[in-house]
Amino acid sequence: MDFKLFLATLAGKILAFVIGVFGGGATAAPGLYALKIDPNFVSKLSKQIPQGSIIISGTNGKTTTARLTYDILSIKYQVIHNRQGSNLLRGIASTMITNCSIFGKLKFDLALWEVDEATLPEAINNVFPKTIVLLNLFRDQLDRYGEVDSTRVKWQKALRTLPKNTTLILNCDDPGISILEKSFAGKKIFFGVSDSKVRLPAVATVADVKHCLVCAAGLIFTAQLSAHLGHYRCPSCNFKRPIPSISATNIIFKPDFSTSISLNLGNQTSTVNYPLPGLYNIYNVLAASATALNYGIDLATVIEKIKKFSTAFGRFQKTTINDRELLTFLIKNPAGANEVLRIISNLSKVNLLIILNDKIADGRDVSWIWDTDWEILKNKVDNVFISGIRRFDMALRLKYAGFKLSKNNVYKEVNYSILNALQKLSTKDTLIILPTYTALLDVQKTLSRAGEKVTKWQKQ
Amino acid sequence: MTLNICHLYPDLMDTYGDKGNTVTFQKRCRWRGIDVKVANISVGQPLSNFDFDFYFFGGGQDKAQTIVGIDLQKKKRHLETAVNNGAVLLSICGGYQLLQKYFKTKTGEIIKGIGLFDAFTVGSDERMIQNLLVEINSELEQDIKDSYQTTDYRLSTTNLIGFENHSGKTYLGKNVQPLGRVIKGAGNSGEDKTEGAVYKNAFGCYLHGSLLPKNPHFADYLIVKSLERRYGKVKLKPLNDEIEWLAHKSAIDRTRSQT
Repeated sequence: MDFKLFLATLAGKILAFVIGVFGGGATAAPGLYALKIDPNFVSKLSKQIPQGSIIISGTNGKTTTARLTYDILSIKYQVIHNRQGSNLLRGIASTMITNCSIFGKLKFDLALWEVDEATLPEAINNVFPKTIVLLNLFRDQLDRYGEVDSTRVKWQKALRTLPKNTTLILNCDDPGISILEKSFAGKKIFFGVSDSKVRLPAVATVADVKHCLVCAAGLIFTAQLSAHLGHYRCPSCNFKRPIPSISATNIIFKPDFSTSISLNLGNQTSTVNYPLPGLYNIYNVLAASATALNYGIDLATVIEKIKKFSTAFGRFQKTTINDRELLTFLIKNPAGANEVLRIISNLSKVNLLIILNDKIADGRDVSWIWDTDWEILKNKVDNVFISGIRRFDMALRLKYAGFKLSKNNVYKEVNYSILNALQKLSTKDTLIILPTYTALLDVQKTLSRAGEKVTKWQKQ
Repeated sequence: MTLNICHLYPDLMDTYGDKGNTVTFQKRCRWRGIDVKVANISVGQPLSNFDFDFYFFGGGQDKAQTIVGIDLQKKKRHLETAVNNGAVLLSICGGYQLLQKYFKTKTGEIIKGIGLFDAFTVGSDERMIQNLLVEINSELEQDIKDSYQTTDYRLSTTNLIGFENHSGKTYLGKNVQPLGRVIKGAGNSGEDKTEGAVYKNAFGCYLHGSLLPKNPHFADYLIVKSLERRYGKVKLKPLNDEIEWLAHKSAIDRTRSQT
């Protein structure tokens, strides 16, 4: 018997039990302690999974993509997945602790891990992935992750160590992702959006890749869909957008925040309607589909699951309180926030509550709000409310974006800001709430307290 | 009155939200009836056809900084002449580093700057990432107080608040003054309590945030200096800066509460 492994498992399980008794969500601590006792805890358990592991990473969309992929793959496989949120190695370990026997035995066919961008190399070393899905790289919490370029260099190093029987599933529209194929000799599958235009208002771009990553010449974009995502080629070397084997065309964004696309796979084309808004979710749908298809799920089944999927909690969520509809969108970096603003700006009139925090999980640096194109909403907004730790930074941003705002609409307490904003709206108005990550948890508390049918995040 | 602004390499040096500085400069001019024209000047575009009053140069990724560093050599003489003739310049982080003599990377590689500031930067393993509170250089203090005009706030401080994110350590030479003294944070090198550099009306610093929106006194100082070259001493029309100072103060409170 592996005594170290046994001890790690036992300690992790006891800790998870204790945290559970006190009503917490044990998403990180049990794994952290298990890894302290046995640093190979994750790699030992990963070896027990017959179909191996899938890793999903990228700046934006990994939670939604992982959850959709899980839903589809669960039709055929018993899948272990870090759904509770922690996407560091300790989160993977915690998920294993919850699901293994006291002797550290796992009974699953397949593992699906959502992995933080900075953790990807460490995760590759520990879970021996058979498939890696890479969605995008955008500037995000520069105080935590550093530059986009340096993250990519770390990824390239890690990908070079992969065995050739690994499969990479890559977003071909992000030149910073498609370039990664050069770091890996095995099988590659590309997904992308093949429409050359999307019917969303233009935003001031925050492109992080403007130059060829091979020869540094300025890239030519024949289509620029979102930030630096689009159809590109280098004028001086042979670097260009690879042709995707799975793609979306005929995109229609509907007023009820659902979307219709043609999903193209080789010669097959199917129209799919699903209840998620925005361009970023098209990429999430494509990535999940590419993964599921690669694991032997047929297209019809994939489409059925996509149609019924509802997104990861809070990333896009509808609730109703006293006849007023609330729509919550998580915002965390300029590329993601800009896509949310593009969706919202399709509405004829907007009531907005923005909640800006600067805790570690939000990013300590709030400079990113100046890279976000709030200006596109200034003529659409009826009422704007602001809350969060850095509420005055947000108020200032909106002042310089040309919004008319009243100091009376800036609130210290998140709970109070939601209830007050609702009071100032007329019935049938919609309140759009844009919280950063830690603010989202406060929003959930208020919505739960308001007695609505909100599933607790712990139960997801 | 009209001011001409040059945003240097806005397509490449745009990573850290520094755009708020040019937005703020423009808005605060327009709210006072001062007309502003902005030109974006990047790689391959000469400066010599223009007479700019204010230059802005922000921070970017290392790779972009290398591309910009090469092109900047061609703009060196023009920028030197402009600054020596009283033009105003604000540079932040990567832009600040490129205006120094050189940047020596961790691996010993030398990226040449243009030496506008008598200073150099050395790459380190230390990441200086935090809120940064700076007490401004006493020589500038009175000038800033005299320039700043507001309707509703009696300025008691000329401190600057922002957010630093760099691993390069900057060391100042004899022919340059620091912008200020570090109250909280690391500043230039994390060693000598200095932050930023001043040479004539050219300023360099590590303050993101963006800097100018929540430091309206410094924004107005740059506007006054830019006007001075063209129109002589100008008294600005006062603005209501209540939100600006609330943001300034709450960022300082946040800084002081963090260890």
